[in-house]
Amino acid sequence: MKNSTMLEMKGVRKSFGTVVALDDVNLQLKSSEIHGLLGGNGAGKTTLMNVLYGLYKPDRGEIYLREKKVEIQSPKDAISCGIGMVHQHFLQIDSYTVTENIVLGTRLKNRPTLDLDQEEQRIQDLSERFGLEVSPSSLVEELPMGIRQRVEILKAVYRGVDVLILDEPTTNLTPQEVESLFQSLRVMVEEGMSVVFITHKLREVLSVSDRISVLRDGRNVITLPRDEASEEVLVRAMVGEGLDVGKSLVFSDTGLDQEALQVGQEPVLRVEGLQVVNEEGNPLVKDCSFQIREKEIFGVAGVAGNGQQELAESLMGIRPIAGGQASIDDTSIVGLETRELLEMGVTYIPEDRLQDGFLPTANVAQNLILGYQRQEPYHNRGFLDWNAIFRAARELITEYNIMTPSAKEPAANLSGGNIQRVMLARAFSHPAKLLVAHNPTRGLDIGSMEFVYSKLLERKEQGMATLLLSEDLDELMLLCDRIATIYRGQFAGVLERGEFDKYQIGRMMSGVETHE
Amino acid sequence: MSEQTTELGHSIKALADTLIPYILAVVAAFAAVGIFFAAVGFDVLQAYSTILFTSFRTPNGFVQTLLKYVPLLLQALAFTVPLTAGKFNIGGEGQLIVGAIGAAAVGIMFSGLPMLLLLPMVILAGIVFGGFWAAIPAWLLYRFGINEILTTVMMNFISFSLIDYVATEIWRDPTAGHPTTVPIGAGGEFPLLVAKPPLNSGIVLALAAAVIVYVYVNRTPGGYDLVATGANARASRVFGINVRVMFLLSLIVGGALAGLSGAIEVAGVHHRLIEGLQSNFLLLGIIIGLMARGNLLAVPFVAFFIAVLEVGASAMQRTMMIPVEFVFIVEALILLFVLLSDVVRRR
Ligand SMILES: Nc1ncnc2c1ncn2[C@@H]1O[C@H](COP(=O)(O)OP(=O)(O)O)[C@@H](O)[C@H]1O
Ligand SMILES: [Mg+2]
Repeated sequence: MKNSTMLEMKGVRKSFGTVVALDDVNLQLKSSEIHGLLGGNGAGKTTLMNVLYGLYKPDRGEIYLREKKVEIQSPKDAISCGIGMVHQHFLQIDSYTVTENIVLGTRLKNRPTLDLDQEEQRIQDLSERFGLEVSPSSLVEELPMGIRQRVEILKAVYRGVDVLILDEPTTNLTPQEVESLFQSLRVMVEEGMSVVFITHKLREVLSVSDRISVLRDGRNVITLPRDEASEEVLVRAMVGEGLDVGKSLVFSDTGLDQEALQVGQEPVLRVEGLQVVNEEGNPLVKDCSFQIREKEIFGVAGVAGNGQQELAESLMGIRPIAGGQASIDDTSIVGLETRELLEMGVTYIPEDRLQDGFLPTANVAQNLILGYQRQEPYHNRGFLDWNAIFRAARELITEYNIMTPSAKEPAANLSGGNIQRVMLARAFSHPAKLLVAHNPTRGLDIGSMEFVYSKLLERKEQGMATLLLSEDLDELMLLCDRIATIYRGQFAGVLERGEFDKYQIGRMMSGVETHE
Repeated sequence: MSEQTTELGHSIKALADTLIPYILAVVAAFAAVGIFFAAVGFDVLQAYSTILFTSFRTPNGFVQTLLKYVPLLLQALAFTVPLTAGKFNIGGEGQLIVGAIGAAAVGIMFSGLPMLLLLPMVILAGIVFGGFWAAIPAWLLYRFGINEILTTVMMNFISFSLIDYVATEIWRDPTAGHPTTVPIGAGGEFPLLVAKPPLNSGIVLALAAAVIVYVYVNRTPGGYDLVATGANARASRVFGINVRVMFLLSLIVGGALAGLSGAIEVAGVHHRLIEGLQSNFLLLGIIIGLMARGNLLAVPFVAFFIAVLEVGASAMQRTMMIPVEFVFIVEALILLFVLLSDVVRRR
């Protein structure tokens, strides 16, 4: 059976309105293989797998399972064909136990009594067999992200699938959890299953896959066995001709050049014993102390939801600081309003750009001045100077390469990458001492990521201090001079450049280690 | 140079993009009701020419239209200003009534004062009382987050009882058959702009209010705050705008505009407080604001168009015995088609 074809997608095309997300894509999956599906954000990976899972109806294309043509109209069809999928943002019922979440929607034997002992035992067995450690009787809401994902994988395995699709499963995991996931995947394929592993991270795909397919702009680029694939070939395939890989920051092996490594002496931001609490008074950020100097990028690593957002918002005056000290250039910022902070030269790139940074019904120029509407040159003797605003907007549109027909265009027409360019252009449109940036590259394609990195470094070299909160460890290790790891609102440790160690940070991210 | 031409081209295209759906919506609404008229046996052409041209055939028709225009414009602004910040003021008629009460009270109590003093006091009383009436729901929203749609509507009902009390108990005019107060002092009456047919100068104030509101919203940082709040309140807050204050102020300004129209009804049109003077202005004002899609530049033009239709409708009822409600159906259909065109465009 080994190396026979398990599944094949042929000539798949899918468009959303005028956007062609997939164009004549082929994918061949062998039995007992981990197939890496690689591509930058927006390449069409999720769309392709949603077609396979019956969530999207393709405009064209066929699916063959064990060389027999199948019609998959819904996830139900997919599961009865033995295809399971773990979504990037999966939904679980928080107040249910692991077992209840897993059996939900299946046919239970003891339906009238809802006695789940047998099911629980089966889940326990599966969990041990595949190394997906989880306690079947715990409530899902009490579990960290890494375990919740195991529940989601068990859900598929419990339904007896032969093909498991994992959409960017490593996004919210610590490096240790990633390793353990990869080991589980190995066990699965050794038992005859096939796995499609979606990622935009090169190193991950190289470390676990048997074969690798690269998607770019909705088209197949190549499919290679692992031993024929090199980083270079894959990078080329991912980015195409448009990007100079030699100068790329995203794919840099050697790290930054000398100039970008310089750090100043003067502290810009000083934080002592910072506390942030929620409405009930429970602490969200506890006793955080750090300084950021001129020309320094200070990173904060951590699994999402450990207080990053609250830390950023308290420094931006969006949430109150409940205790401790924070000052910029020796001026206390405790109790200051966002407007005052913006005037002092603190600037912000929020994590959720659509919710927290974007005015969809306003035009691009109006978006570019948000927060600066009372500052020169936009404001003149009580009135807005629209000529100056549009002039500045046109300059920013050119400098930041924002794709829009005009500064008067409604911002709702911008694509995700361009919205992020607006966030960046706005943050950098005025001289800034301190930048607070939260996941500034999430969901961006490679070209846009590259652009964000180069702008952050350009500002750093000009003297700006940066607080970079990110879930992407590779990004932090590339850009930061120091990295703090936050766990449950507290810093578990701060590492200097040179002592960065992915696994150590991973241990701190999951709370098993602290570092002084 | 070429950049400027593309900007200009962009503006023209944008204007065409906005106007074409309106024109289509108007044509479609008239066509739909026209088919119905024809089926019932009314003379469609005569009906429509009455609706559309009564305002322009005689000086009297035109003055009637302008008199209708003033409260419609102000009601539409009272609805549109809070809408800019994303809030719904459905209390325009209560604010108009309370503004009218304030204006009448001042006009009656100080009836002896000369015009130079009394007229500004009457106008100011209307603005302050209207603003106050909106300030109550605005404060409930600010302080407790209570939905402004419910509270502004409820304030309307309170105002009905209030005007009834004022017009039947406090300053009742015993000679009138309808609940009415005694007249305000002569010094509180608006001077006439045109003597025959009589047109009071309230329209000057209404137009000035429209211009000030437009300039404020589009040319000042405070106006920018308002627009940004309406576009995305969360993002505005993150970038330093105090959005709750924006909600509060926009509703109070809306109330003040409605209150001004109450003062104009009292001091310009009736010279006394009459129960029912709010007519159906609130509903028409909301329709105008929605038809204009909240665009403050469009509001004065749409309001004029609706005033023409309203005057035409009364004439049609008088001369052809076709109920005015048909024109209301036309107006509702125009609104429906304008809103539909948004949905179509999004596809
Ligand atoms: N439901 C949708 N509606 C419209 N466009 C979509 C939808 N889903 C995906 N797209 C578009 O299709 C393209 C591919 O998206 P996706 O498959 O999510 O990429 P990836 O998973 O590789 O990051 C993108 O340009 C995206 O904007
Ligand atoms: Mg995806």
